[in-house]
Amino acid sequence: MLFGFLVTAQWQGQQERSQVAVRYNAPLTDAALLFQNEQNDLKRQLQDLRAQLDQIQASAASQSGAAGELEKRIAELKAQAGLTAMVGDGVVVQLDDSHTVTAGAPNIDQAICHSTDLTDILNTAWRGGAVAIGVNGQRVVSSTSVYCVGSTIMVNGTLLSPPFNIAVIGPQNGVLAAFDDPSQLRDIKARRDVQGLGFRVTRANAINVPAYDGALTVRFAVPQ
Amino acid sequence: MRTNAGGIAATVVALFLGVLVVTQFRSQDVYSRSLQLETPASLTTLIANLSDRNNSLRDEIFDLRLRVAAARDSVANGQGSLAESQREIDQLKVFAAVSPARGQGITVKIDGVFDDRAMSDLVNELRNAGAEAIAVNDMRVGPRSWFAPGPDRTILLDGRQLNGPWTVKAIGASDVVYVAITRTGGIEGQFELIYPRTHFTVAKQTALDVAAVLSQR
Repeated sequence: MLFGFLVTAQWQGQQERSQVAVRYNAPLTDAALLFQNEQNDLKRQLQDLRAQLDQIQASAASQSGAAGELEKRIAELKAQAGLTAMVGDGVVVQLDDSHTVTAGAPNIDQAICHSTDLTDILNTAWRGGAVAIGVNGQRVVSSTSVYCVGSTIMVNGTLLSPPFNIAVIGPQNGVLAAFDDPSQLRDIKARRDVQGLGFRVTRANAINVPAYDGALTVRFAVPQ
Repeated sequence: MRTNAGGIAATVVALFLGVLVVTQFRSQDVYSRSLQLETPASLTTLIANLSDRNNSLRDEIFDLRLRVAAARDSVANGQGSLAESQREIDQLKVFAAVSPARGQGITVKIDGVFDDRAMSDLVNELRNAGAEAIAVNDMRVGPRSWFAPGPDRTILLDGRQLNGPWTVKAIGASDVVYVAITRTGGIEGQFELIYPRTHFTVAKQTALDVAAVLSQR
């Protein structure tokens, strides 16, 4: 009986997956990964072109005072916009799905991380005085969105998966105080305590936050 | 001989059962994420999002190639790179939110109960739709902006109290941003279910003005 039950359960499980997975998911998954690889390549091309432009401007700046002033202003703005990598002290936040919950469990929604958890963590970090944040290598800038489709999370339009390492550069005491504030992230803290959601905030030194490597997409907004 | 055969058969069955048990256990093992476990509808949405991002990157690469070539020519002709530098400064001033900005876009008017987390979600959705400059009640949302609950059901943006009704301005491709917010199953529809007594009005605008961010740490 046990044998029969196991065989049936196993066969049914595979049948359910096969109907959808074989016909559509495999080619769609391949296509998604292809687009992601293409994106990585496009970002490399973009970085290369930005470096070429910087080089031309630096060369021109060495020959003209006016160009030198503009180059300084560009460097300032790039730092403010998150287009420059940064190293500094701060905290690292780790967010991960619970490692104790099983697939199909009724409380699974409470035990895994969602895009709104990430946006809440970013909000708390900024509130605590953060000056630069990176999520699994993606710099958080003015155009950053955290987007969720199914159980897949995208930051800056890039596919990411847990565990999420959120590197926060900023005043350590201020940022830690914001995360320790009992009124902040109540939902995440309750799910950590009850469902085993992975959530840990630790003080860290010499954190690396990379430069933003995506498109600037300023096409409709004109500075006044 | 018979005993040995029976023993071997029992061992084989036990092994087979063991394999099945382990396989079954693994299939119910710790929840794991995988693109292959997404539905075809989710994968299609993901691909569309990736495709949009890649198109933006391609546009910028095309634009930068022209700018690099123009800057090289200009420097080679002894004219310097001032025009290119000024163009980059203009772009960065909008991206860093340090200058006021003007352009087409949409407005979202929110009249009724609303909260800071929902406002943060709306800003996130507008950014995902390609909004280039966003303001709430004429206060610019910057790269390091944060929302918090204020007194008497108000919303704090970077510590400043914003009273309802709230007007959110978002500069960007008005058709694209409008559809992203108002589409079936989109964030406006979700808000209408969560806040049934709150009135949401989304409208395209041909010209919007947003201020610069108030402070940058």
